[in-house]
Amino acid sequence: MSFLGRALAILRKDLKAEWRTKARLSPMVFFILLMLLVFNFSFDLGGAALREIGPGTLWSSYVFASLLSLGRSFADERDNNALDALLLAPGDCGAIYLGKMLGNFVFLLAIELLSLPFFALFFNLSLGFFLLPLLAVFVLGSACMASAGTLFAALSNNMRLRELMLPLLLLPMILPALISSVEATGLVLANECCEKLFPHLQMLGVYAVVFTVLSLMLFEYAIEE
Amino acid sequence: MRSVPFSCLVFAVMLVALGAIFLWVPTEKEMGIVQRIFYFHVPAAFSSFLAFFLVFVGSIQYLRTREDKWDRLALCSAELGVIFALIVLITGPLWAKPIWGVYWRWEPRLTSMLITFTIYVAYLMVRGYGANSAPVQRISAVLGILAFANVPLVYYAVDLWAADQQLHPPRNVELEPTMQYTKWICCAAFFLLLFRLIAQRMELARIEKAVALLRQKLIDET
Repeated sequence: MSFLGRALAILRKDLKAEWRTKARLSPMVFFILLMLLVFNFSFDLGGAALREIGPGTLWSSYVFASLLSLGRSFADERDNNALDALLLAPGDCGAIYLGKMLGNFVFLLAIELLSLPFFALFFNLSLGFFLLPLLAVFVLGSACMASAGTLFAALSNNMRLRELMLPLLLLPMILPALISSVEATGLVLANECCEKLFPHLQMLGVYAVVFTVLSLMLFEYAIEE
Repeated sequence: MRSVPFSCLVFAVMLVALGAIFLWVPTEKEMGIVQRIFYFHVPAAFSSFLAFFLVFVGSIQYLRTREDKWDRLALCSAELGVIFALIVLITGPLWAKPIWGVYWRWEPRLTSMLITFTIYVAYLMVRGYGANSAPVQRISAVLGILAFANVPLVYYAVDLWAADQQLHPPRNVELEPTMQYTKWICCAAFFLLLFRLIAQRMELARIEKAVALLRQKLIDET
């Protein structure tokens, strides 16, 4: 089986498991709904506040939800020592990273798209074609979080206090991606397109590529038993 | 014992640096006496980045060779890098209060330094919560590499984010020659101090490990 074939097999397995259990998607979307509720009472959200705190609220919810979601991606493999079986499979274990990363990417993107209507509702944001560039921000932002997050989930999987260590390690690392995602989202919501937006998308793209390449190189050390 | 001459050299250069800062270099005419903190602030920043680079080198070498000495280099450099970064983060606001009127602004250089600092504090937490076992050393080495790779991304992203807030004195500013020399003397003093402290800390880490092994052996025998 080729490298890509094995990665896709793992992706297929994760998607199928999620489809049958719904263990990650529905709790995460509900979690984001709760986060928006918490933010509402913390900041008094409303139409006027959309520009100032809308993007920050949105991405803070996504980051916290993705921390919970990423933690699950290797925790599921820990039960019944399924990870050992994955590692025993012949070939480069970078394929495990790639499969898991693609799975996390799909989950995060789905969570973001599913919770966007709630956000639009609470912030009185009228959905329209001007939001189309937001899709690019979501895709690149999710790619950044999935690329770094999958590796850190694998790293913290073997640690004591793993639930605590994942956010401690991941949050400072994804700050560059978070900064650009929030800025880019703000520009899209303010309907300021393209010229100012491009450097931020570029930053997100570079971050995702750098972390994917580094993770593929370092994954075997991160997961080694 | 071999380290005594080196320690004497570090001490001598530090004395020269202190003399240059407080006796030789003229007071800057606009900012006044507070500008002298610059001779601690800038060399501390350079030293912390040098230390973080050593974490990177030590981490790569540890994953390649699995020799304890490289892991010790990474750990000890990270500890000292964090301390020097803390010096930067303390001296910066002390200078900023009289010049900008506030201790802290979300200005690009400050923000980047703070993020870099938190990344390496997280690294030290990983080391602190796991004993000095092989898995922790391996995980830390991966982290040490990622942390250093992240530093340019942090700087780039923060620059984009707060492009209109740039308040830091520019890096290519033309310094008066005496100030320039003082800056280099201070950098030399900080670098020598960094190397001396890393060497000392690595020796301590080696002894700690040897003691731990001996203790284990003793427990096994009894």
